[in-house]
Amino acid sequence: MSINDSRHRIPVAAHGSRREFLRSAAGGIGSLALSAMLAGESHAGLHHAAKAKRVIQIFCPGGMSQVDTFDYKPELARRDGTPFDSDGTLQFFASKPGNCRGSHWKFRRHGQSGLWISDLFPRLATCIDDMAFLYSMHSKTALHGPGCFMMNTGFTLPGFPSMGSWVTYGLGSEADDLPAFVVLPDPRGLPPGGIINWGAGFLPAQYQATTLDTTDPRHPIADLFPPRGFTEVTPRSDRAGLNFLQQLNQLHRETRPANTELEARIKAYEMAARLQLSAPEATDLSQETQSIQELYQTEHPDVGPFGKQCLLARRLVQRGVRFVQIYCGAENTTAKKIRPNWDSHEDLPRDHGYWGAVLDGGASALLKDLKQQGMLDETLVICTTEFGRQPASQGKGFGRDHNAGAFTAWMAGGGIKGGVGFGATDELGFKAIESPTYSYDLHATAMHLLGIDHTRLTYYHNGIERRLTDVHGHVIQDVLA
Amino acid sequence: MPHRMFLPAPSAIAGAVLTLVICGPLRAAESSVDFASQIAPILQRHCVRCHSPDNSEGGISLETIDDLMSGDYVVPGVPEASGLLELVTPQDDSPAAMPKDAAPLGAGDVALLGRWIAQGATWPRDIVVKERSMADASWWAFQPIDVPDKSSPKSPSTIDGLIRAKLAEHQLRISPPADRRTLIRRVSFDLVGLPPAPDEVEAFVNDPDPQAYEKLVDRLLASPHYGERYARHWLDLAHYADTHGFERDMRRDTAWRYRDYVIESFNDDKPYDRFLQEQVAGDVLWPDDDQAVVATGFLSAGPWDYVGHVETKSAQLRRSARALDLDDMTTQVMATTMALTVNCARCHDHKLDPISQREYYQLQSVFAGLEREERLVSQSALQDYETQQQRLIARRDEIDFQLRRLEGDGIDLADIVGGGNGSMTGAFRQGIDPRTAKVQTRDFGKLGNVVTNRFSESEFEFVDGVFIPDGDGGRAEIPVSSTGVTIRGLPSTSGNAWDMIRNGPVASQHSPALDGIDFTQGGRSVLGLHANAGITFDVAAIGRQLMGATDAGTQATTAPLRFTALLGYFGAAGSHHADVWVFADGLKLAEFRNLKRDDGLQSIDLQLAPSVRFLTLVATDGGNGFSHDQIGFGDPRIRCNTPRQSTDAQTRRIAALRSARKHVTAELDTLGPPPRFYGVVASAEVPEVRLLSRGDPESATGDALAPAALSALAMLDPKLGTPQTGDGQRRAALARWITDTRNPLTRRVIVNRLWHWHFGQGLVDTPSDFGFGGSRPSHPELLDWLAEELVRHDWSLKAMHRLILTSRTYRQSSHVSERSGQLDESAMRIDADNRLLWRQNPRRLEAEAIRDAVLFASGNLNLRRGGPGFEDFDYQDAYAPIYTYKPADDASLWRRSIYRFIVRTTPDRFLTTLDCPDPANMTPKRITTTTPLQSLALYNNDFMLRQARYFARRVEREAGVDVAKQVERAFRLALARSPSDREAKLAGEFVSRESLFALCRSLFNLNEFVYVD
Repeated sequence: MSINDSRHRIPVAAHGSRREFLRSAAGGIGSLALSAMLAGESHAGLHHAAKAKRVIQIFCPGGMSQVDTFDYKPELARRDGTPFDSDGTLQFFASKPGNCRGSHWKFRRHGQSGLWISDLFPRLATCIDDMAFLYSMHSKTALHGPGCFMMNTGFTLPGFPSMGSWVTYGLGSEADDLPAFVVLPDPRGLPPGGIINWGAGFLPAQYQATTLDTTDPRHPIADLFPPRGFTEVTPRSDRAGLNFLQQLNQLHRETRPANTELEARIKAYEMAARLQLSAPEATDLSQETQSIQELYQTEHPDVGPFGKQCLLARRLVQRGVRFVQIYCGAENTTAKKIRPNWDSHEDLPRDHGYWGAVLDGGASALLKDLKQQGMLDETLVICTTEFGRQPASQGKGFGRDHNAGAFTAWMAGGGIKGGVGFGATDELGFKAIESPTYSYDLHATAMHLLGIDHTRLTYYHNGIERRLTDVHGHVIQDVLA
Repeated sequence: MPHRMFLPAPSAIAGAVLTLVICGPLRAAESSVDFASQIAPILQRHCVRCHSPDNSEGGISLETIDDLMSGDYVVPGVPEASGLLELVTPQDDSPAAMPKDAAPLGAGDVALLGRWIAQGATWPRDIVVKERSMADASWWAFQPIDVPDKSSPKSPSTIDGLIRAKLAEHQLRISPPADRRTLIRRVSFDLVGLPPAPDEVEAFVNDPDPQAYEKLVDRLLASPHYGERYARHWLDLAHYADTHGFERDMRRDTAWRYRDYVIESFNDDKPYDRFLQEQVAGDVLWPDDDQAVVATGFLSAGPWDYVGHVETKSAQLRRSARALDLDDMTTQVMATTMALTVNCARCHDHKLDPISQREYYQLQSVFAGLEREERLVSQSALQDYETQQQRLIARRDEIDFQLRRLEGDGIDLADIVGGGNGSMTGAFRQGIDPRTAKVQTRDFGKLGNVVTNRFSESEFEFVDGVFIPDGDGGRAEIPVSSTGVTIRGLPSTSGNAWDMIRNGPVASQHSPALDGIDFTQGGRSVLGLHANAGITFDVAAIGRQLMGATDAGTQATTAPLRFTALLGYFGAAGSHHADVWVFADGLKLAEFRNLKRDDGLQSIDLQLAPSVRFLTLVATDGGNGFSHDQIGFGDPRIRCNTPRQSTDAQTRRIAALRSARKHVTAELDTLGPPPRFYGVVASAEVPEVRLLSRGDPESATGDALAPAALSALAMLDPKLGTPQTGDGQRRAALARWITDTRNPLTRRVIVNRLWHWHFGQGLVDTPSDFGFGGSRPSHPELLDWLAEELVRHDWSLKAMHRLILTSRTYRQSSHVSERSGQLDESAMRIDADNRLLWRQNPRRLEAEAIRDAVLFASGNLNLRRGGPGFEDFDYQDAYAPIYTYKPADDASLWRRSIYRFIVRTTPDRFLTTLDCPDPANMTPKRITTTTPLQSLALYNNDFMLRQARYFARRVEREAGVDVAKQVERAFRLALARSPSDREAKLAGEFVSRESLFALCRSLFNLNEFVYVD
């Protein structure tokens, strides 16, 4: 397929009675089929005024240690080297606990707020007054796959829609020439649990994420253009084929006026042609200035790949994409020198050291850039992981085992009050004890900022009106601006 | 069942009454309030939905009095101080604060509450107020099948009669019948999932027989492709896939046997009750029937978390994974067979349907003795298999010996590495681990735990053993045989090794070709030997085999042999290089130093003295690191020194042997892998199941539960055993309960599914939810009539298909007719959703059917049935296996989509885009979306373009060079019809201007191609 000559815009959901008309005309089958396509149709409208219009979520798979990053635990440092579990009753995911191990990085206060952050994040530390920390996150599982599913979909099982899908289902998109929900996986590979981390689950397929492949700027979306090497196809013949196709489709449709899905399919080809123009433009980072490139460290051998993803995320939301998810880390594939994600069982200084610099560079650049561009107010930035790590070392080594009992997530921009913390863990950072909060509350809060009441955005599936937040979730008022 | 409360034991009631007496009525004028009959119902109706321990929304719980007392909501004897009363009483002009967003309490109820508090707020300890489910046992779906008496004259007991009657009530009429061309395309996709071939269309359209349509339906039902089509529907319900899912998404290489079982069961028209019984308890009910055993693959078809069940050391995490596992089995069985959403009762009583939490766990206990596992179908099946296999292998080996004797081709060392007999019987790419001599089929990368210069003996007859060499600057004495032969003089190496010694390329090999010869094609072979590794063959044993075959044992071992091969560096070109060595009994026969890709193939032809026992091949890394050092011995053979002359008779004999070999190989191929499948195994004792409070595996409460079904089906006894009943009996009892003819749900559910599959919409349009949350039947009488017909036809699904497909209702047009415009307009107004079926529903093909139809039109559809699924991806064995999709340009990948190897974590993007559902979910109903990404996939995807190219070639082959004929042929293949004049003209011009390929590509993208009228 190739580019349409006329780049006319088709108003999406132009008239109010459209859905009603479609429902009646579509013969009852797939009455959702005609919902807007690239844009996605809104199923919630706004339940209340929105603070945020769009979301960029950074996901750090593998399990980021809270005690080495954001959750300052002086008592843990004091007990460094003493037995963590003196009566030997605890059994972690992969090990029996070793001794208490204080943070591998020094903590300092930063900003007006004076919140603590470790030296692993020198750049993020300068953004601290824009960030709200949820210190009392915990999870229902200490397994990577189910943990990632829970943070993304609210359930530890596969098959549920991700937050991006729910938001798209609820709000549709601001853009009519880009997908509403885009995922930028780590260039090293997929996160634990794979592609279905951003799947639509049981929601219709148009709410699933579109993956952008940034390694091929001319071909950022799968099948956007014919594969190279097909000599039969040229942009000219593509266009001719499309015109012919639509001619035949119109003839077919004339005898079937009642089936409006046919009209929708004709439109889909027009929209696809528009996507061919907009996607390469959106992913072309060379349009950015030198100083922006430097801010995101796009040429840095380690930080660069993630920095580029962050920059791309900003370009996408700028163009009306509703939800962008960026992965900072991949799966536990064949372990090379550095683990391919945050899962630091053997050598936390090495692995968190590497990934910390990556996250620090990309995320801080994103926050600063969004702020400079005046977009931070309406862009909600979320940074999460699937669970935390133990305050004890793993065995006698330098690593830490999985900890479902506590981790830290942070949010910024889009209606978030900066420079605040919510909840607390115990003195060692082992367990969330003050306002313990699951993914539900984070999701409820994000939805709230987007103008959605999380209890009212539902979809019937196999007997249940499903929600992102299951039967749980409270908006965390303390972090709202 | 008016209330759903836990009623107190009699003694507790006595206690409660006693308390009332002692505390006394404070206001004597008023009669005493009874909590159970007067107050509890108020709380149940108005409060506990939000105020229960299961629902944190309300903050406090009104299931018991504890929260009410502690929060001063109720102060016994003092209504004025009790917050509860204030909350439910309207204040001035504002309405009562509670209940939120719901109808307020009546004044009478408020007064009653006041009196109850005034009288001391007695709440008998044993009364827990539970929310009442929306539906109770009187719900329509739980009632017996209700079919009017046959003798009743006014009952129009046919599908058409019942449909027309309902339409008439709304002044609607059935649409005119569809024409035959439309009909054959519709019913073909419907029954076999494929379009009709052009000649089938013509034959049907021109068939003068008035029974032509009935014959067509019978023919399609008898087609083996019918089972393939309906298995897809069924596997959607079973959420079947060929991997575990979750983080370590490992392969289930034998899961396909269950898939094939489903296909065959549909094709055999297995009675539906038996079909269900087999899938729930076939291993128990018919242990000697292999198919019935394989049927239990149903229970294991869903996802399973390896890390949670096996890898983690934490018992708590294992309990959690296990709880979800049992839930998956229970939910799947009940949703598929009876359309009940029992999983909603895992954390609390079902809020909509009369299913208690206790009943849920009783059902779960039916499966508590099971684990998912790959297992043998049966001992006897294995024996049969092995006997068969040995017979065939012996026959093949015999032929091979004969062939070798006649051809003098020698023994292929690569084949031996692959576990073969030296004559194309080994497994391609199977390997021997240079560290341990173990046989491996998966790819490895850099090997860990390497010990250099350690010889490991092989179990293969012709392979003595293997080792990883490090010459230590020529000093090391490296053992290279089981008898202690050593070699010296090798250079130092990195001591690293990569992947296995293989029959074929090693993992990540740059290319299998060198000097223009691809050693994986055309009967060639390559022994892949990545540095650093060495392998020693037992040449004496090989010689005995060869000579034995040649000269019946005489002077066998003394005949001279030769070793021939084409040696090469198969890694990438550049500065990389490696060294290769050949030894006989530890004496160096040849060495190749600094071998690079650019050096091309080295021809080796070495004489082996009659006394030689061991031939050793070694690759070392050349001292510049071991990456890229992919050494290969092409066509490596041990052969007799004296080639033989062949005569005509010998040539004929060779031809005969070759043909016999082909035959035996085909038989072996048909025999396939051993009779193992991914299913369930039962433990000797069933672990106890207790109710898990709020579904939390750490909060088991109460007694061990006895297995039981649901009491809401009043016509059946729910008892399935005692807590001591073994696994087999539990499942057998449940299978019988589900398929009892008195069970009204099982029959209603399957006939409704059939209806859904034929009309795109069920009579109940939530096919897996017949409860309160689902929808109500549009034609209850028809549903029950069909359910009754099913039993009358001995549970034959094909009979039900026939009944439905031959109805006028099915055969009507899907068009909104223009002739009678007035009527249709009113139909659209009255019943836009077409629930009453005044026309057939046009439907878009499912993702799999689109793919199959594309292959059908291009002429490439490979109709090979059954067996392991095709893999259109590269598989990489890693901690979390990696599946990378590749262009599917190979006949073995052009099989029907039902035979796809389905990966859970990495679904096929092309099919997902076309609405193929995630197999994590049970999918009773496919969703159809229309998106630009679908347009891009169909227009630009590599698979589509290649098939369009094949399609064009086929059309040209079949229609010749005349453009008009090409257009005609292309339309018939793609759309099962000729083009109209206008279409023919447009298409003809288009082909002349662009190309036939462009036409074929456009046809695949037509609305008409993906829609069925």
